[in-house]
Amino acid sequence: MMFRPPRTRTPAAGQRPGSVSRALARDRLGVPAVLFFVLAGVAPLTVAAGVIPTAYQATGLTGIPAAFLVVAVILALFATGYMAMSRRITHSGAFYAFVARGLGRPAGVAAALVALVAYTFLQVGLYGALGPAAAAEAAAHLGIHEQWWVWALAAWAVITVLGQLRVDITGKVLGVLLSAEIVVVLTETVLGLAHPAGGHLSFATLSPADLGSAGFGTFGVLAVVAVLGFVGFEFGAGLSEEARDPRRTIPAATYIALGVIAVVYAGASWAMAAHAGAGHVVAAAGQQGPGLLFGLGGSGGLSQAAQLLFLTSLFAAALAFHNVVWRYVFALGRENVLPAALGRTGGNNIPKAASLTQSATGLAVIVLYAAGGWAPMTHLFFWLGTTGGFGILVLLALTSAAVIAFFARDPRGENAWRRLIAPGTAAILLTGIVVLAVLHYATLLGVSPGDPAAWALPASYPVVAVIGLGWGLILRIRRPQVYAAIGLGAHAVTGQLTPATASEAA
Amino acid sequence: MTGGQLAARLTGTGRLADDLYLMAHHDLTGRPYLQPRAAGLGLAGALLAELMLAGQIKAGPRRVVVAGRTPPADGLARLVLRQLAGEQHTTGEWLAFLARTAAGNVAIRLGEAGYLTRVPARRPWRGPRWVPADPDCAFAPFTRARAALDPSRPPAVTGAALAGLAAACGLGPRLLACAPPGRRRPEDAAGGLPPGLRDLIAQTGAAVDSAVLARRT
Repeated sequence: MMFRPPRTRTPAAGQRPGSVSRALARDRLGVPAVLFFVLAGVAPLTVAAGVIPTAYQATGLTGIPAAFLVVAVILALFATGYMAMSRRITHSGAFYAFVARGLGRPAGVAAALVALVAYTFLQVGLYGALGPAAAAEAAAHLGIHEQWWVWALAAWAVITVLGQLRVDITGKVLGVLLSAEIVVVLTETVLGLAHPAGGHLSFATLSPADLGSAGFGTFGVLAVVAVLGFVGFEFGAGLSEEARDPRRTIPAATYIALGVIAVVYAGASWAMAAHAGAGHVVAAAGQQGPGLLFGLGGSGGLSQAAQLLFLTSLFAAALAFHNVVWRYVFALGRENVLPAALGRTGGNNIPKAASLTQSATGLAVIVLYAAGGWAPMTHLFFWLGTTGGFGILVLLALTSAAVIAFFARDPRGENAWRRLIAPGTAAILLTGIVVLAVLHYATLLGVSPGDPAAWALPASYPVVAVIGLGWGLILRIRRPQVYAAIGLGAHAVTGQLTPATASEAA
Repeated sequence: MTGGQLAARLTGTGRLADDLYLMAHHDLTGRPYLQPRAAGLGLAGALLAELMLAGQIKAGPRRVVVAGRTPPADGLARLVLRQLAGEQHTTGEWLAFLARTAAGNVAIRLGEAGYLTRVPARRPWRGPRWVPADPDCAFAPFTRARAALDPSRPPAVTGAALAGLAAACGLGPRLLACAPPGRRRPEDAAGGLPPGLRDLIAQTGAAVDSAVLARRT
């Protein structure tokens, strides 16, 4: 048989040898793309309009603006070691893989379950804000009056379908929405600061001195709220395989994200306190909810646009966290740490089982809250959201320790600041915050100290951690092959090193 | 270009990437079953496997080494071989590089062999698309891959490689849906292949897994 060569119709035919690396680099993500992916999970307007007013109301504390600034510094310290480790280990579930390689495989399985529970709390919690926000918009503009859970279920259905079609909101759509969100929050902030209560702009809520105003322990509470706002900044590490230059692209995007978020959140929460007056912001937050942000610039077109964007922001965040959860489930199924069925794809590369698992959890929680008649904004969005944020805080502390342990065995190419001093300081500070938060969890939730929620919600983490440790040890005895591959990701099957180490070795 | 100079045959072209391409697309409409990145990576693996089976390349540690002395007759194989000879990269990097153009290149090759026809798109803003010239010939590769899963006969090397590559890029459920009872798993069928080929298939699977987990398709 005779076959003619593909000639120049072939797209690759015109490329000379030497162009392989350049061609691959063109397909990979630069700093702006990674930044958008990171900020998508962060969802600025969701935090500025949803988390901050609810946090003022539930905790009754006014030091939130200062907490964002202080936590940004602590997270920057954390990111120093985290980024160093992400150059060595590529895994879509970064916390899990880092802890497994740093503190041992059973600890890694425990971290994986903690991460799974934390991200699940964050994802289902978003339905608690999405439902009421959509209900309010529909009542105001469409004349449709339905319960919050009807809208929550509608959003759940759309996310379930998008999950089954494996849709990520694309970079461009996301870029436009995110930019609009940030512009809206900044504009509201400036307008709010231009009209402070009593005509005098107070800087008190920005001062670190305000963090301990109601006792030292309140810093733990405020820090959990702030960490909740920053959740998503850690996603960059999972993208190192796709980044143009992992050594530079991922850290640059992560530090820029931290800076942008710190300024936007500290500014917005400061403006809310300044506009309502530090003495009245807690009461105002209770009355207005997300309106505390939207009202900063009056009730005109900006406020209307902000309320619509709040909806799209919540939806994008719910979809982003849905995708985070199924990636964790899929990766764990792939490594046989969770049932292998969860790590399989359908005939079209879509991880149906992993995605449906998270959809089932979401449905169960919405139905539970609707049947129980519990308040969606405080009991679902804020309680589960902050508990998710607390779980991430625990993982940050654990990961800092893992970074130190990992580089203690293999310090190649990293200086003492990146492998020991910065992660060590971060580990101490983060552990301190975890302890303070546990001691004052009732304040965080806004309940009386004896309330069952104040111990039951944080207790979910030690419970799954013990299960994870036990399961890890069972795997070591019963299935040594699975145990050996824990935390290695897709490269386990090929016994390959990560791209970074491969090029170092070459 | 419409149609080929040669007629399609049920026995196929005898080339792995051609068979895999036909398996990854609907036998009547030509609609792709797989996400573009996964299909590209699977076909890239198949193009390298073709060269490996023909003795043109050998598997080294984490990379492939050009070993053939006579240039292959097929134009696409020659092109890939020239690229491999020109630069040093890991197998994973080669898969990612070849995946970018593999589907388009293999479609052109199948078009020239008479297996695919180019038809105008239904929507005016889309480019022309490839549809199988003969649905029977387009379905035949499935039968070849399935035969490798039949426990009553030893798997042929090409059949086993095809089944392994199909499973690696996500066609496993489709393959198993019509497999004989007591069938081998595609991974087991590929387990009997020479180590270099087996490793290549595993690396293709790992690359596809990474693509599934990636933030974009």
